[in-house]
Amino acid sequence: MTALRYSYYPGCSLHASASEYDLSTREVFSVLGVGLEEIPDWICCGATPAHNVDELLSLSLSAKNLELAEQVPGDMAVACASCFSRLKFAQHILSENETKRKLVEKAIDAPVHLERRVKHLLEILVRDYGLEQLGAAVKKPLSDLTVACYYGCLLTRPTDVPNLDCTEAPTIMEQVMEAVGAQTVSWTHRLECCGANFTLSRPPVVQQLSNAVLESAKAAGADCIVVACPLCHGNLDIRQKEIEGVYETSYGLPIFYLTQLVGLALGVPQERLGLDALIVSPQKLFKDKKII
Amino acid sequence: MDIAMVRKVEALSGTSVRRCFQCGKCSAGCPMATFMDHPPNRIVRLLQLGQWQRILAGRSIWYCVSCETCSTRCPNQVHLASIMDALRKLSWDQDGPSKESYVQLANRLFLENIRTYGRQYEMRLAAVFNVKSGQFLKDMLLGPKLLSKGKLKVFHQKNRNITEVEKIFSRIEEMRRKGEAL
Repeated sequence: MTALRYSYYPGCSLHASASEYDLSTREVFSVLGVGLEEIPDWICCGATPAHNVDELLSLSLSAKNLELAEQVPGDMAVACASCFSRLKFAQHILSENETKRKLVEKAIDAPVHLERRVKHLLEILVRDYGLEQLGAAVKKPLSDLTVACYYGCLLTRPTDVPNLDCTEAPTIMEQVMEAVGAQTVSWTHRLECCGANFTLSRPPVVQQLSNAVLESAKAAGADCIVVACPLCHGNLDIRQKEIEGVYETSYGLPIFYLTQLVGLALGVPQERLGLDALIVSPQKLFKDKKII
Repeated sequence: MDIAMVRKVEALSGTSVRRCFQCGKCSAGCPMATFMDHPPNRIVRLLQLGQWQRILAGRSIWYCVSCETCSTRCPNQVHLASIMDALRKLSWDQDGPSKESYVQLANRLFLENIRTYGRQYEMRLAAVFNVKSGQFLKDMLLGPKLLSKGKLKVFHQKNRNITEVEKIFSRIEEMRRKGEAL
């Protein structure tokens, strides 16, 4: 097999509030011997606020990033579910709608590049690297750990855009977690919304929606939740204590980025996976399950 | 009844409101329907009836969280999440009437940050939002914790494509002035 290599688009959160996702992604790729080169001076994808009020701006920002990606060879590797969604939406809309494509080309003053494949980390691990190989690279299987895989909204929806997995019954995240030895649970809220960017404008909405997600994972017997989105992570981890207060309950569920758990199983020392940045500390869980 | 505006929503969203037969799956799966004055299926019905003013006067469009569940489950390929985007754009351009100024303020500050820095600057976004919305103490207890965990970056590295980003924003403004873009 020729060595895999990707042009990496981390997105804004991975350079700030989700730096542990960035750190653990780089560690996992390095241990697996997969090349990951960051696109120089990539710009913000515009996320939800841009497409919410100005689709042309949103499409133009993504088109500019697809142009910047031309500097680095390889398929584009994206970690953040929202960035992934915006890039895939831009490719989908611009390849179908000529009027919008012409407007975007005028806005970025360049032709749009639609050929480059945009891939989420999950599909790189499962489809490019392969589960068998991933399983073979495991040094410390997470055998005693029971995880709830949380997809949230944008990894799978809508139909025909991300094309990562089934929109109603995806399994790609469970496949990765099971390959590194963890047990996965079947639970009701794996595809429900956490409240997303309302964390800034309307925190009570996030408390209500994220509470339902935490409650469902706990009821299914999970020890922790694994996510692939910085916003889901922030809402479930950073706001967990305040949610417990509002709803007078106790969850104590550590929330991991998928690369943090994969990294642990591959034998990466925990300080190199940013585990100390988690607000809900996983240390007791690690001790109980003899993970570290 | 204003059909021209409905046609504009259809052009912006790339979807037809005429395909909807009111099965209600969009509202059944919507995580935000309980917060809305008009649930998602009624938004489409009001558009079919040309009553878009009633939608813009309400708060539903600013309570949609863009989770894409409605678009995914629609049996008639009505892309309701994109219709919500189109309606927000029309409301945004008219600068109201909206009851949801906090969501609009968050959006505006987010886009201003991209224009100024090329990338999102989370710490500034949260700080300026609290000042401008008058909620000085909102999430006050989270701040020090996030700082100690390295989750808030106080300094922001400038992006070398910052002039390119500014050009994209100003070209789009220019295109709108000339009526070349919706």
